Amino acid sequence: MTRERVLVAMSGGVDSSVAAALLVRQGYDVVGATMKLFCHGDDVPDRPCCSLDSVNDARRICEQLGIPHYVLNLESAFGHDVVRDFVDEYARGRTPIPCVRCNTFTKFRDLVRKADAMDARWIATGHYARMIDGALHRGLDPAKDQSYFLWGIDQRVLSRMLLPVGAQTKAETRAVAHELGLELIAEKRESQDICFVPDGDHTRIIARVLGADAAALARGPVVLRDGRVVGEHDGYARFTVGQRRGLPGGFAEPMFVVAIEPATRAVVIGTRDELLGRGIVAREVNWLGAMPVIGAEVSVQIRHRARAVPGVIVRIADDEVEVALDEPASAISPGQSMVLYQGDRVLGGGVIERGRRALPVRAA
Amino acid sequence: MPEPVYLDHAATTPVREEVLAAMLPFFGPRFGNPSSVHRWGREARTALDEARERVGRCLGASPDEIVFTSCGTEADNMALIGVWRARHGEGRRAAVSTPIEHKAVLGALHQVAREGGEERLLAVDSSGRVAAGSFESLVRDDAAVCSVMWVNNEIGTMQDIPALAQQAKERGVVFHSDAVQAFGKVEIDARTTPFDMLSISGHKIGAPKGIGALFIRRGTPMEALMFGGAQDRGRRPGTENVAMAVGLACAAELTVAEREEEVRRLSALRERLEAALLARVPDAVIHGRGAPRAPHVTNISIPGTESESMLIALDLRGIACSAGSACQSGSINPSHVLEAIGVSTDVAKSALRLSLGALTTEASIDRVIEVLPMLVEKARRLAPA
Repeated sequence: MTRERVLVAMSGGVDSSVAAALLVRQGYDVVGATMKLFCHGDDVPDRPCCSLDSVNDARRICEQLGIPHYVLNLESAFGHDVVRDFVDEYARGRTPIPCVRCNTFTKFRDLVRKADAMDARWIATGHYARMIDGALHRGLDPAKDQSYFLWGIDQRVLSRMLLPVGAQTKAETRAVAHELGLELIAEKRESQDICFVPDGDHTRIIARVLGADAAALARGPVVLRDGRVVGEHDGYARFTVGQRRGLPGGFAEPMFVVAIEPATRAVVIGTRDELLGRGIVAREVNWLGAMPVIGAEVSVQIRHRARAVPGVIVRIADDEVEVALDEPASAISPGQSMVLYQGDRVLGGGVIERGRRALPVRAA
Repeated sequence: MPEPVYLDHAATTPVREEVLAAMLPFFGPRFGNPSSVHRWGREARTALDEARERVGRCLGASPDEIVFTSCGTEADNMALIGVWRARHGEGRRAAVSTPIEHKAVLGALHQVAREGGEERLLAVDSSGRVAAGSFESLVRDDAAVCSVMWVNNEIGTMQDIPALAQQAKERGVVFHSDAVQAFGKVEIDARTTPFDMLSISGHKIGAPKGIGALFIRRGTPMEALMFGGAQDRGRRPGTENVAMAVGLACAAELTVAEREEEVRRLSALRERLEAALLARVPDAVIHGRGAPRAPHVTNISIPGTESESMLIALDLRGIACSAGSACQSGSINPSHVLEAIGVSTDVAKSALRLSLGALTTEASIDRVIEVLPMLVEKARRLAPA
C-alpha cells in the first residue's frame, strides 16, 4: 500500500513541528513546507530577511524527522490578500485579524494548490482545532483553541485537513516534542505578534504602504456621541473599539472608544454602557457546512479568547448574517470576526460590520 | 523509486575520488604549515608550490600568477575591488560588467560604487551575448576594470572572451573573466588569450567547496583585500589551505585532460534532452538556444507551469535541478539573468535549469524525458483558470 502524502505547513514552532512528527509516526508520507510570506529586508535587523531563523528551525526539524522540506514563496499573494487588506481595514477605521485571512487565502487555498502539485492528498497545520467527521471543531484545550481563526476556509478543503495537535493541550504538545527528541523547538516561546508586524507596531506597516501622511495616522478629534470635541488623537488607526488607552481623562466614569469615523477622522468615545450591543451584523460570510436556518440557536464569539454568548440567527442575506444575542456583548469591533458555533462545532462566520444596541428582530 | 537523478552540476559537483585521495595526506601526516622552517613546513610548502604550478599549467599561466582563494566569489571580489582600488586614482573611476554576471561580480561592482566608483553595465542581447557597440562605448580609457563571465551559470551562454579581452587591452582596461562555469568546458589559455585576470572554483569541477583560484597576469595592478602575513606575496594573507589547493590542482588537471571528450558527451546528452522535451512540450522555450552555449546547461521555461512547484514535484520524484537564484531562506526569486535578457516575468517564473556533468548518464536523461512532460501536463491541468 502506498502511504498517503500530507503537506504540513511548518513555521518552525513547536505546534507545527509536533504536528509533522505525529503524522510521521502515524505512517503518512510527510512533506514539510515553510511559507515565505514577506521580507523585511534590512528593516528589522534582529529578525533577518524572511524570518530566516524560523525557516532554518523547520528545515532542521524535517531533517531530524527524515522528511523533505521546502520553502514556498507566497509573498506576492500574501502581500495582496493579507497585508494590503490589513492596511486598508485600518484605513477604514476597523480592526482586522490578518490571521483569519491568512488561513482562508494563504494556508487553506494557496497552500492547497501547492499540495495538489505535490500529489498530497492531505494538508496539515499545527492549529489547535479538531476535525471530527469532516467538521471543524474547537481545540480540546480551551486555553489554546484556535478555531476562531478558521471560519473562513473553503468547506471543500475540510475533507483534506489534518490537525494533529488539536486534540491535546499545549503542555502535551511540548511533552510530545521532548519525547520525540525535538529539543530544538520544544520550549520555543510562543509568537504573540502578527508575523509581518514584528515589533508590534502596526502603524509602521500602514505608513509603509499608505505613506506616513495617511489619514489614518493623522491627527484627529476625540469626540463624544453628541459630537462635542473633548480632545485630540494622533491617528485613528491607533484605536480599536473598546480601547481605553490613549484617551483623554477627566470624565466621571471610564471612557472607551465606541466608534471610529474615518470620514472625519474622529474617534468617538463613550461609557462602558455605550459599548454594549445586542445585535451583530457580519459580512463576507462563510459556512463550513450546510447554511443554518433563520432562528437557529448558536454560540457567538466575537473575539479570540472571548467567551461565546448564546444567540439566534435572525437574518441571512447574500453575504450578510445577523444575530441577536441573548445577553449584551461588549465592544463589538468592526473588522474582527464573528464566529458561530453549535457546541464545539464551527458553523461558519463573517467579518463584523457593525453592532446594534437594540435587540434585532427576527426576519419574518 | 528509480535511481535519483542529479542535474544540478552548475550548482556543485561531488568530490572526485582521485581528488579526495590526493588531499587526505594533508589532513594527516603532512599537516604542516607552509610558512614553517622545519621539515613539516617544507613538505607542506612543496605541496602548495606544486599545486600552484599545476593549476597554473591548466590555465597557461606561471605559478606566481595564481592566487588560491576560498571560493569563486572571493576571487571575483579580489579582481574587481582590488583592481579598482589600485587604479581609480589614475582617472579610471569606472568598473564595467554585464547584468547577467553571478552575484559575486555584481555584488563586488556595487561595492566599487559604494566606494565612489562608477558602475557600468554592458548591454546584452536576448541570448545574453554582450552587444559589441555597448562594449565599444562603455569600456573606455576612464575604466579601471571590466569583468565579463565566460560562460553564464544560468543559461550557459558563452562570450567571445578573446575578442573582448583584446579590445579591453587596447584601452588599457584590466580585463577579468569569471570562468567558474567555463573551466573544463572551453579552452582557456592565458598565453593566447589576453585576459588579465580569471576566476575558477573547485567545487564545480570535482574539488571540495571552499577553494578557488584567481589568475593575475604579471604586472596587473591590484590591492589586496585582506591584511596580515606575507603569504601569497601579501596578495592573500592567511595560512594557506594546502589540502584544498592540492585538491583543486588534482581536479583541474583531470578536468582539462577530459575536457574535449566530456564536452562531446555532454553536448550529445543535452541535445537529446532538449530535442525530446521540445517534441513533447512544443511551446517550451530554451533560453539562449541559438547562441554559442557551454554544453552542460539547459534553461527551459514551460508556459503554464511555475518553477517552484515543478522543482518540488521533480525533487519528490528524485530529480534534482534548480531555478532562478535562491535567497537565504531557500525560497526562489525570479532570475536576474532572464530578466536582463528580456524574458518576461511570467516566462521567467516558469524557468528550470538542468545542468549536466559527471553524474549524468543516458539513463538520467531518459528519466527526465519521461517525468518532466508528465509533470507539465499535470501542472497545466491544475493551473487555476
